[in-house]
Amino acid sequence: MVPTSYFILLSATLFTLGVLGVLVRRNALVVFMSIELMLNAANLALVAFAQARQSLGGQIIVFFVITVAAAEVAVGLALLVAIFRTKRTTDIDEISTLRG
Amino acid sequence: MPDLIWIVALIPAFPLLGFLLNALFIRRERAAGLVACAAVVLSFISALIAIYALQSQPVAAGGAAEGAAAQQIDYVLWEWISVGAFRVPFGFLFDQLTAVMTLLVTGVGGIIHIYSIGYIRGDVRPVRFFAYMNLFIAAMLFLVMGDNLLLLFLGWEGVGLCSFLLIGHWFDRRSVPPGIVPSEAAVKAFVVNRVGDAGMLLAMIAIFAKFGSLSFFTQHGLGAAPIPGFLDPAQVAQAAFGQVDLGIFGSINVMTAITFLLLIGVTGKSAQVPLFVWLPDAMAGPTPVSALIHAATMVTSGVYLIARNHVLFTAAPTTQGWVLTIGVLTALLAATAAVAQWDIKRVLAYSTVSQLGYMVAAVGMGAYVAGMFHLLTHGIFKALLFLGSGSVIHGTHDTQDMRRMGGLKDAMPTTFWTYLIGALGLAGIVPLAGFWSKDEIIGQAWISSKATAIVLIATSILTAFYMGRQVALIFYGKPRDQNAEHAHESGPVILWPLIVLAIGTVIGGAMNLPWFPFLKDFLKPVFETPGAPPEAAESFNYAIAIVTTVLAVFAGWLGWWLYARLLANRIKVGREDPAHRYLGDIWRGMEIAWGFDWFYDRAVVRPYRAVARFLSETFDAQGIDGILVDGTGRLFGWLAQQFRLAQSGYIRNYTLVFLFGVIGLIGYFVFLR
Repeated sequence: MVPTSYFILLSATLFTLGVLGVLVRRNALVVFMSIELMLNAANLALVAFAQARQSLGGQIIVFFVITVAAAEVAVGLALLVAIFRTKRTTDIDEISTLRG
Repeated sequence: MPDLIWIVALIPAFPLLGFLLNALFIRRERAAGLVACAAVVLSFISALIAIYALQSQPVAAGGAAEGAAAQQIDYVLWEWISVGAFRVPFGFLFDQLTAVMTLLVTGVGGIIHIYSIGYIRGDVRPVRFFAYMNLFIAAMLFLVMGDNLLLLFLGWEGVGLCSFLLIGHWFDRRSVPPGIVPSEAAVKAFVVNRVGDAGMLLAMIAIFAKFGSLSFFTQHGLGAAPIPGFLDPAQVAQAAFGQVDLGIFGSINVMTAITFLLLIGVTGKSAQVPLFVWLPDAMAGPTPVSALIHAATMVTSGVYLIARNHVLFTAAPTTQGWVLTIGVLTALLAATAAVAQWDIKRVLAYSTVSQLGYMVAAVGMGAYVAGMFHLLTHGIFKALLFLGSGSVIHGTHDTQDMRRMGGLKDAMPTTFWTYLIGALGLAGIVPLAGFWSKDEIIGQAWISSKATAIVLIATSILTAFYMGRQVALIFYGKPRDQNAEHAHESGPVILWPLIVLAIGTVIGGAMNLPWFPFLKDFLKPVFETPGAPPEAAESFNYAIAIVTTVLAVFAGWLGWWLYARLLANRIKVGREDPAHRYLGDIWRGMEIAWGFDWFYDRAVVRPYRAVARFLSETFDAQGIDGILVDGTGRLFGWLAQQFRLAQSGYIRNYTLVFLFGVIGLIGYFVFLR
């Protein structure tokens, strides 16, 4: 058996990469992809624990997470398309008119 | 004859009614003048009736000296203040002293009101003038008729207020000859009076603390327990043994302290040194105001105060000495100042200060009757002089500078003759009223202190000199200005009061001739209380009187001769007095009254203004407005600005903060719980 900690470590690494992607990248599509990466890292952690505890509960939650991720991506891309129509750019640094 | 003592309430009621009518209902000048004069004349008639009622009062049994009968009317209207032990009735005291003051106020006041009808014609606000003149008479009557110190103080403040209102009658004028701003002069009068009033108020508190009452004489009429009066000689004599501890300043006798505080009040109101500076500037008001307030009535209230409280002053010989010193010093100082003035009313103003010094000196010597006698005669001839100067001013189209006058004797004969009579009266030439009253005082002085008498005689020499100078400058020589050349005599409304007052000046001495002391006998019940030293019986010294009169005649002639003959050609409009060439800085010193105004300006007014400017511009505008008010606003603005920096609009910044928050929360739940 592969030790659970390896899965968790991989999950953490993927999550961290996702976070860094969200923080650092300017292209909105890449940000969305990084968010997907974070979600999938969470999925991985859930499945690993499910397997470690011999429980199906973790895997059920994964289904919910996948569904939510899909819905969220749909909405997010719709927003991006709407913004692109006005701004003609996907650079999120350009979308800063709500400054105080 | 039914009991008429209620008539005393009418005496101040008429002018008060006149004030209300003029202030609230009347709009036209003619009606205002008539109502005002009627009010004062009715008040005068009521006073006469009240004197008759007084004489038919029963003589009080106890507390009377041998021969002197204490007759008083004490008419209490209602219980004004009643707080625990502090009870003050609103009552009018009418005794002989009040009677003479009331006659002076309403009599001379009535004449001046009649004169004002002619003088104020064409003025921009005549109704206001008459309203305040009536209010003044009412307040002055409260002052002299109050049966307790608080009502007296009400009148005291009232006359100060009316003085302010009337001096500032032409408040919209930037400047009035000889270069005074009326509104500033009014404020000066009020503020300087206030200094005296502070002393007066402290004196009232001290009297209440010591005697438990502010009423002059014991009152019974209110049903409840009688209010004791503090002018009981036995009580006062006993109090004179008390000492007041002043901490590091040692201790002072109680009576000395109380009377000294009263003296401060007198100094302010009666324009003595060092608080006389308001009177010359008060000439910025209309001439009837100067005649009424600053010659005959308001300024004499200080003398009345001392006379009324003579029991207190007799028990405080130290203060008596100060009163005498201040009076004599004022008399001399003001007389020197009067010599060097070139404004017609300023000469008379300083002359008033000087004569008030005589009165204060008289009461300081204990010669109360002599002081009151001079008060009465001075009221008559000084009012005459002021009204005469008003006639001159009117006739020369508002000229007040004597250098612009000259030769008015032929153009204004009635004015000239009445003015001359007034001047001779003031100088003390026999047989006019001033001679009898002034030499009575000098005679008293000769008995108590030769030095005082010498100074007073010197002052009367100066008095005669400056009056001679003034008469010469105005009426003799050649007219030095267009207005003087085309001068015209004033109308009858102005001239008849002058004539009446001139007659009064001539026969006024009959009030208290040495061999027929009518006034002295009349005032005996007031002043000859047990324990009081009797006024020297034969104080009128004929030898001194003759010497003084001869010197005065010579000085008056000299003043006239210098300015009508010798130096007449050297009087030029706008230039210095010819005497300045010989006396130089001394003349200059006299002209500015030895620098009192200058000193107050440097020592009091400028520092005060500097403090006020600092407070308004720096402390208030910059400090409170800037730091506290605006500063608070700006602080919050700055804080908000700092918070704004967090709202960058960049999604990445927001996400970062989001991340930190998540880490913080999870860390809290994982590690700390």
